[in-house]
Amino acid sequence: MEQLSLLFSGWRWQDMLDIVFNAYILFRLYVLFRGTHVLRVLMAVVAMWIIGRSANAMGLVITNWVMQGVITVATFMIIIVFRNEISGVVRTRSLRFFLWGIPRAQINTPVRLITDTVVELARSKIGALIVMPLKTGVDSIIASGVEINAALSREMLMNIFWPGAPLHDGAAVIQRGKITRAGTILPLSQNRNLASKYGTRHRAALGLTEQSDALVIVVSEERGRVSLVKDSQIHEIRDPDKIETLIKQYTGGSEPAKEMRRQTRELLAAAMICLLCTTGLWLSFSRGMETLANYEVPIEFMNPDKKMNIIDASASRSRLLISGARPLVNALTLDQMSIKVSLDGTSVGKNKLTITRQNVQLPPGIRLKQIEPDQVEVILDTIAEKQVPVQADFSGKLPDGLIMTSISVSPETVNISCGELSLNTITTVFTEKIALDNLTASGVVHVALVMSPATLRPDDKYKKVQVRYTISERPRDDGSES
Amino acid sequence: MPDFNAMIYLYLRSRLLIVCGVVGFLFIPAGVGLADQPRVVLADAVVCERISNFRPVNPAVIFSVSQGEVFCFSSFDPVYEKTAIFHNWYKKDKLIFSMRLILSVPKWSSFSRVQMRDADKGPWRVEIRDEDNNILKTLRFSMSD
Repeated sequence: MEQLSLLFSGWRWQDMLDIVFNAYILFRLYVLFRGTHVLRVLMAVVAMWIIGRSANAMGLVITNWVMQGVITVATFMIIIVFRNEISGVVRTRSLRFFLWGIPRAQINTPVRLITDTVVELARSKIGALIVMPLKTGVDSIIASGVEINAALSREMLMNIFWPGAPLHDGAAVIQRGKITRAGTILPLSQNRNLASKYGTRHRAALGLTEQSDALVIVVSEERGRVSLVKDSQIHEIRDPDKIETLIKQYTGGSEPAKEMRRQTRELLAAAMICLLCTTGLWLSFSRGMETLANYEVPIEFMNPDKKMNIIDASASRSRLLISGARPLVNALTLDQMSIKVSLDGTSVGKNKLTITRQNVQLPPGIRLKQIEPDQVEVILDTIAEKQVPVQADFSGKLPDGLIMTSISVSPETVNISCGELSLNTITTVFTEKIALDNLTASGVVHVALVMSPATLRPDDKYKKVQVRYTISERPRDDGSES
Repeated sequence: MPDFNAMIYLYLRSRLLIVCGVVGFLFIPAGVGLADQPRVVLADAVVCERISNFRPVNPAVIFSVSQGEVFCFSSFDPVYEKTAIFHNWYKKDKLIFSMRLILSVPKWSSFSRVQMRDADKGPWRVEIRDEDNNILKTLRFSMSD
């Protein structure tokens, strides 16, 4: 029990979603291929895959190798041998059915009523073509005709197939006790071996059953015979009493409620098996392989005093050595990990903070092995304001024979704010460099202030200052010196 | 004949003034008075290219490093007592050179100089400070190409 709880410890919501999503895909595959040969072969492939994995775990090298080969070949065989069935499933399904539709066998259909009508039609030698879709449905094959959605009744059916009636030439579709569609055109079979006694109705019925699992009832106009067509086989019924039994046999059961429960149980069991298989697969991937990994995670400083600024830190990142299941570690991203260090109790100046396991946040299932460095030195400072003089800065060279005798900067001083520690060392703010090479006469320039260090902030109104300079001719030398 | 009461009143008032004066004198802090008077008065201070005949030549605010050196000239008038001042030379905010200069009564001029090299280009300032480290004047200039 303890091992079981250990196995499921550290589950994330992503893992749940992963399992449920894949289980649903598996369940959809089952629903789509239910009743076809593809599903049986797929089951066999899955069984071989399990044998292969077990052989690998037990160290049976050749068995594992053979199974891998067989699975590869079987996969190709499925595609080649069952291409018609696969394409039939793909072609005959709508997108809605692919995603969530569940086909039900004919459950609520009043078979007795259909049988009586069919016998009556045969006796009157009125040709009829009745389609009863089963698990795979026929929506994508027969979209033609007129949508009716009328309650099934003997009179209604007779009326549809009555000679001269507008819809009598096509097929009527019966689903869940309703005539959903009439006058539909069915795809004709290309089978060249069809007996000559069969006409277009039989060929159409055969064509539909080649592409779906539907049951088609054909009433011959010439001979007054009833045929049931299922799975590309034409069963001519000579004894009218057997029609009801055969329809029930093909459409699945005599008691609708019981049949409904049986189908629901089957689907639930299939869903459970899909869920179990996916969970097992996930566990075999995630719990089988432990791995180690290193990540450089940024250090976040929490609860800073609003009056304080972080001036410097000995480290901005810490290297975390973590362990966990390989898929979990591989799926790990930096934003899932964090190191949060509280600045509570710190003061202006240097503060040494220790990074412990409590400061590290990791997703479930990931274990922390080591933190490097596990200490960080943070220098904090408070914001202060100071008034400092402004000094003009120059570059280049004044033209020969000229001398700059005076400068006045306006304003002479500016207010700057910065960390108190930095501010203590700042006594002057300098302007951007003013090029001397082109200055030949006195004038005025407006220049920006250079904020160094970058944390220095001037008042908005002092972003530029005015520098007024006086240039004059250099006086002649008298040659004497002190 | 003077009024006797008026005489008594004048006598008491004069005594009260004496007492107040004595008490007030006791509360005057030491050092106020002559000691507070500055020992020197800065008359002129410039940064210049040369000193000639104890006078600054070509005072300016931009100096080419090709000239080789730059001078800071300061004259004090009057100088009340023999004292010292400092010429502190800063490049940007870093103290590069400090020179102590002795001043003698009744007036005195003195100067300091620095050699200019290529690496010295940039904004400079000279702070003229007295013996008590009070700034008397700050002179700002630049060394250029």
